This record gives sequence, C-alpha cells and structure tokens, in this order.
Amino acid sequence: MTLASATEDFLTVQDLAVSSGHLVITMPTSFHVARGETLAIVGESGSGKSLTAKAIAGLLPPGVIAKGSVKLEGCELNGLSERDWQRLRGRRVSMLLQDPFTMLNPVMRAGRHLDEVLRDDPMFHDRKARRAEVERRLAEVGINNPAVADHFPFQLSGGMSQRIALASSLARDPEILIADEPSTALDVTTQAEIMQLLKRAQAQRGMSLILITHDLRLAFSICDRVLVLYAGSVVEIGRAGDLGSGPFHPYSAGLLLSEPSATRRVKRLVAMPGRVPVAHAVVGQCAFADRCDWVEERCRAARPALEQRAPGRFTRCLRQPEIQGELDALRHAALEVAPAILARPANERPAIKVDAITKVFAGKTTTHALKGVSLHIAPGESVGLVGESGSGKSTLGRCLVGLETPTTGKIEIDGIDAHDFEALQPDDRAYLRRTVQMVFQDPYSTLNPRHSVGKTLAESLRVGQFSGDMNVTIARLLTEVGLTADYAKMRPAQLSGGERQRIAIARALAVSPRLLVCDEPVSALDVSVQAQVLNLFKDLKTARGLSFLFITHDLAVVRQIADRIVVLYLGEVVEEGSVDQVLSEPQHPYTKRLIASIPASTKHIQGAAEL
Amino acid sequence: MTLPEAIDAHPVRRVSRRLAQMPLLVALAFVVVCVVVMCAVLAPWIAPYDPSLQRLDVGVSLPSSDLILGTDTLGRDILSRSIHGASTALVGPMVIAAGAFAIATILGLLAGYLGGWIDTLIMRWVDFMHGLPSTLIVIVVVGVIGGGYWVAVAVLLIAFVPSDTRIVRSAVLEQRPRPYIDAARSLGISKPRILLVHIIPNILPIIVAYVAIDFAFALVNLAGLSFLGLGVEPGTADWGRMLSENRNLLLGGNPLGTLVPASAMILTAISMNLIGDWLFEEFIG
Repeated sequence: MTLASATEDFLTVQDLAVSSGHLVITMPTSFHVARGETLAIVGESGSGKSLTAKAIAGLLPPGVIAKGSVKLEGCELNGLSERDWQRLRGRRVSMLLQDPFTMLNPVMRAGRHLDEVLRDDPMFHDRKARRAEVERRLAEVGINNPAVADHFPFQLSGGMSQRIALASSLARDPEILIADEPSTALDVTTQAEIMQLLKRAQAQRGMSLILITHDLRLAFSICDRVLVLYAGSVVEIGRAGDLGSGPFHPYSAGLLLSEPSATRRVKRLVAMPGRVPVAHAVVGQCAFADRCDWVEERCRAARPALEQRAPGRFTRCLRQPEIQGELDALRHAALEVAPAILARPANERPAIKVDAITKVFAGKTTTHALKGVSLHIAPGESVGLVGESGSGKSTLGRCLVGLETPTTGKIEIDGIDAHDFEALQPDDRAYLRRTVQMVFQDPYSTLNPRHSVGKTLAESLRVGQFSGDMNVTIARLLTEVGLTADYAKMRPAQLSGGERQRIAIARALAVSPRLLVCDEPVSALDVSVQAQVLNLFKDLKTARGLSFLFITHDLAVVRQIADRIVVLYLGEVVEEGSVDQVLSEPQHPYTKRLIASIPASTKHIQGAAEL
Repeated sequence: MTLPEAIDAHPVRRVSRRLAQMPLLVALAFVVVCVVVMCAVLAPWIAPYDPSLQRLDVGVSLPSSDLILGTDTLGRDILSRSIHGASTALVGPMVIAAGAFAIATILGLLAGYLGGWIDTLIMRWVDFMHGLPSTLIVIVVVGVIGGGYWVAVAVLLIAFVPSDTRIVRSAVLEQRPRPYIDAARSLGISKPRILLVHIIPNILPIIVAYVAIDFAFALVNLAGLSFLGLGVEPGTADWGRMLSENRNLLLGGNPLGTLVPASAMILTAISMNLIGDWLFEEFIG
C-alpha cells in the first residue's frame, strides 16, 4: 500500500489486525501519523476504534491479540514486552481514556496521580520539586488552585477529573497521545474546554495526537486528517477539509448526513438503514455492502482494497468514481430546509402547565434541583428542554410523569392538578398515566431484561385499557416504530440500542398518550441510529399529533425536533423562545456559552454544500 | 468498546450453553450432590443393613468383607448409618436455606422497594439480630425448648433470615433506580405487580445462588447442633450425631465411624458452596 509515504512519518501502522481467538475484530489496517499531526479515528460503536487504539498503545485486554506492525520512528512496538513498554509509555506514547469517573484511582488524591508519573524522573526526586512540578502541570490544564491536588477524585467534577487525567497523561511529555473519546462523558461546555486544553498542549509540545471519537463535528473541527472506520475496516482516509466537504465513501457520506445540524433544521434527517454488523460477519466483502444504496455484485465478491483516488485521499469504495456525483447531490438535497415553524396562536390553551415548581432533595447536603420553574406545552407542540447535568432538566421531566413530587408549585395537565400523583383520585391518576408517558435515556436498562418485547408491550396495553386482539395490536405498534412483528418474541439482550429505544417508545405509545416526555432519548445511540430515531419522533408527531418535551443537552437534536426551547441552568429557566430565535440570537450568557461550545466543523460540511 | 459476543438471550439456550462450559470442579460438585441425594432417597434399598440394627455381639469392628466400613460400639453398620444420614443432612439445610430466603425475600423487597420507615424498621431489626451471638442463642434456645431436629431447623432458619434480608435488599436497591422500573411506575402499574413481575425475576438468580451457599452453612451448623446433642433424637442416623457418638473410636476401634460422616459432610458442604459460587458467577457476576 502507498500509505507509508513521506519520511516525516512518525508513527506507522502497517496491516494491524485485532482478533480475539478466531473472531475478527478489525481487518488489517494501515495508516500513519506525522510528527505534530492530529489524526481522528471516527467510527460508531462496534467499529473497532477503541481496540485499534489500545493495540497501538499495547494495552489490549487479555485474550485479544494484534497482528501486524506498529512502528514508532522505525522501532517496532507490537509484541514488545511489558518491561519495554514501561519505558515507552508516558514518555513516548501516552493514552487518555474516556470515563473521567473510573479513570482515576478513587483512593489516591488527585495530585498523587501526577506525582506517581513524575517519581521516576531524576529531576524530581526531591519531594518539594515534585510538588512544585505537580502544581505547574495542573496550572497547564487550567487548574490554578493548587489545593485541588489534595482532593480525592470523588470530590471533583467530571471536567476536573478529566483535566487531572490529561495532566498525568501529559506529565512525561509524550511524543504521541492517543485520546479515546476524551470528552464524550462531559457536559457540552466542559467538552469544549477539554478539547481546547488538549489542542493547546499539543501545539506547545509539537506532539502527535490520535483522537478516537464518534463525534464527526469534533473530528473535523480539530483534526488534520480523518480516518473512518466501519465494522473493523478503514473505509476512508483523507484530510479533514476534503472529507468533510465531499466524502468518497457512501458510509462517510451517510454518517455526515445523519449528523443533525445545529444551525439549520432539515425536513428529514438522512438515516442509514440497519445497524453496524460485527467485523467477523463481513470479512470477505465490502463491510458496508448490506446498508449501501449503490451496492453491486462485485462489492460482495471480495473485500475491496483501500485505493488512492485523489492526492492524500483513500477510499475502499469500488464505485466511488461513478457515484461521486450522486453522493454530492444527495448532500445538497439533504440540506433542504424545513418549512418555518408556525407561531402558535397566543390564546391557545396549554395542555400542560407547570407553575413555579421547586424540588428540594433533602440529605446531608440539601440540593435545590428546581428553583421555581414555569413551563407550558400546547397540544401538538414540541418543547426542547436544554441544560447540562445538574440543571434539573431530568427532575422536571420526572415530575411531569409522577415519578417525583415537586416540593412546591403546581402542575396542571388537562385541567387536572397533577403535582402529587399519590394524592389523586384513582380515576384521575389512571387518566394522567395514559396522558403523559416517558422515554428514558439508557436503552440498555429501559426494558425489563427478563421480559420479551411482546410481554412488555402487552403489559402497557393492558394499562391503557386495551380490548381487542393483543397480538395484532402489538404487531401494529411494532410497525409504527419501524420494526416488524417478529420482534415480539425477542428479548432485550438480542436487540441493539436503537431497537431497544424503539421498543421503549412503542411501550409508551401503547397507552395512546398525548404528551411524550423524552429524557435524552438519543444521546446513547450511534449517529446513524440517532437519525433513525429522530425521524421516528418526527413521524409520530405528524401521525399522532403528539406533544413532546425533549430533555437534552444536544442543541443539534433540539434544532431538528423542537418548536420551542427552554434553557434550564442550575434549576432556573434562563431563556425561552422559538428554536430559531434562541439558537440564532441567544440572550443569556449561559445560552451563548452553550452555543459557542458546538464544534465548528459544520462550517466544513455546509460551507461546501452552499458552493 | 466491549468485545463482540454472540447475542443469545434465549434463556433455555443460554442456560444450556453455560452448562456446556461448566468447569470440571463444578461438574464434580454436581456429581457429589447427586450421589448424596440418591443416598437420601434410596437409603432403604441401597443400605446393606438397618441403620439402627444393634449387634452387641459384634461390637466395634474394623472394615471387613461383610461390613465394608466396619461398625460402631453398638455394632451398628457405619455404611448403612452414613447412607441413611444423608436424608437429615439434606432435608434440614434445604428447609433452612429455602425458608430463610422465602422470609428474607419478602422483608428485603419491602425494605428495598418501599424504603422509608418500613426500611428502617426491618433493617434495624436485622442489625439487632446481627448484634446477637447467634450460635450461642441457637444453643441456648434449642437447649431450653428441648432440642429435636425440627426445633433446631426452625431456630437456625430464623437465625439465617437477617443476613439473607440484607442480600435481597441490596439486590432490590440495585434494580429499583433502573429505567424499566420507572417506566412501569409511570405506566401506573401497581406496587405488588412491580415487585412480583418486574423485580423478583431479576433478583432470582442472586437468590438461587445464595440458597446454595446458605445450604452449606446450614448443613455445618445443623451437624454442629447434632454433635452437641441438640439436634436429632439420640439413635437417629445423622452425620453430626455420628461424629459425636464415634469420637472415642477415632484413635482406637474404628476411625471410619467419624471419618466417613465427616468427609461426607465436608464434601457436600464444599460442593454446594462451589455450585452456589458458580451459579453466582455465571448468572449474575
């Protein structure tokens, strides 16, 4: 392959294949990273991106092996002994992991994590010198209060923990840093800060960076080159700008299209059908063939090679030259703007009225989750409730379905006082349960693992005072959420995240509610699946005239789905208005900060489309 | 990323797949338990002699072709007594483990799911029970009431409830905040139904695994009481009883009189422990 080209190549990966026993996890992969360069490895869950990164850093879990070669300035890394790795790790190759809450040792003070790394350096044998260095390093990642070094991880926020982790992975000034989803678990505004710190540290050191992410916007905004991984195969490599403005592979194109835009509302998101296969199942063919609109016989005959089609641009698509025009046209078409949202008549009677509710969680430290929040939702209206973790947005949603009881204030649903479900007449309570339903965030525990899909839906139907043929109705519900009747026999463990979330939606729909409270319904899903589910919500809105309360931290999701937006910050509504108005002309400083923290890559994507 | 694993959630297929991958040691444990169960059920047919048949003319004897494991002071056949002893070694512990968990499941569900003052009440009672020297209490109570196998079983059963309640409660607390419970609540499904249909099936594997482990403890405890003369009636063929009756024969006479019931007891207890651990690892951990 012609990938290992220039002499400035710093890290060269040649035919690196990860497998577990006879199970293929990634197919042979080759790429290179130059000194000081930033490479993004983009892929959905199951693409093998994390294990590829771990293979490079020699951190594969037991039983998983890597074949092929990883060369750091000509020195072979794959197969090094643990002792040799110890000399390299931290100093030359360093890794930053995803979850800030489990990454730090809970019984070690924050500063100790850095101290441990510096200890071996003869320059810092002296305890005082080491302490001074720890403080200097913390300042580098934006922690100016040296007392933080004495805190335990549980006393730190996610952003703080991630800073400490970043400082310790940079402590020995590595020449290449592999960051595996370093900001995914953090709030949007914190995400932006961490990425800035990472960028700055990289520039100061001339360090190379491999950023593993599922977030295309992030990849395009900070990386020089992007490598797209799908089901264990590299499908495309190219410069961020080129790939963002005109992808060569149908999968990259689909991924870009299914990413909701934060700046404009489209009529319908382009969703790729189906789900990511396991690498093992698509070894002898184009990995994307089963989901591709342009698939031909030869795509399935053998695995296509990664070929250079333009300077520095590689794709594994056999048909790229013929379909490039279609791919570009599709991207133009997808940007067709949805009709403007009609303003609601001012005298409309709201279906839901929340009036100055507060919620106080008593405990060792009293938490004021909601401090007098008022809100209304008209029939058929979608309201986006935006805020970061700790803003009280989930608490508000739970109050609406009676999972929490507000401390003070009023909730009125269809004229019924619903602030305390327990105190209601049984008839009224049953009526409310059928009127408002909720869809939860985590698709993996939203369904009872011991119940089949059919049993879950049947239970819900019975609550909705259903009479008639249960099986027929279950089949109809499943069709409505885009699944087939066969799913009734399946159990949650057999389903993907997107499918589970659809079942959870069907369960809520079974009682024919008029308001659906959706608490981060797509945040745990892959981009392509996220687009499918968002489209489903759009369809349900039209077909059933449902009202929605979308609780989310993702402004792009709100832009696509909500009519009106309510911004919640530390338990208070700080801004409210139509989506266009709030997102285009934010008034409150917090909203401004929120909007500023969206990675700017959409410029690439849309800039090109506007040409 | 997690490793891709075969998606196979069908319970029967899952169970059979796990069974096929059972380690040898656990398989052996199952064999031991099966043998003990068969001894208990088929004792009248497979034991060569009546376990209480006294042959004072024979007295203590070492193993011979006729009496494979020899006899005790009263000339009773050790093999027959050991085989018959399997039934008291199984029934009592089974009743204790299952009964204690039946009560503990109810208490644990109430405490874990309802919370509030019910939780406080139940858990303070549990703390109180844990504060008592339970073995001593059992000995005193059984001693005062007058012993007997079923009294010992009943007292041990109650002594096992507190720790089992803690296990069930913590399992319930783990399930309770899951969205599927929230979903059931927001559908307006009644509390008893949520407990019965949603929570119990999800904590059942934990209960089953701990029943096996509890069984082993109950077996040893019950045998201990029998050894002290507080369990079974004098004369009954029982492993713990045999230990105490034949302890004088260990160094002179017939050592098998104690070694055989002791090994049977240890093997059964270890086997049940292994099975419990394995169930726990496979279906929960």
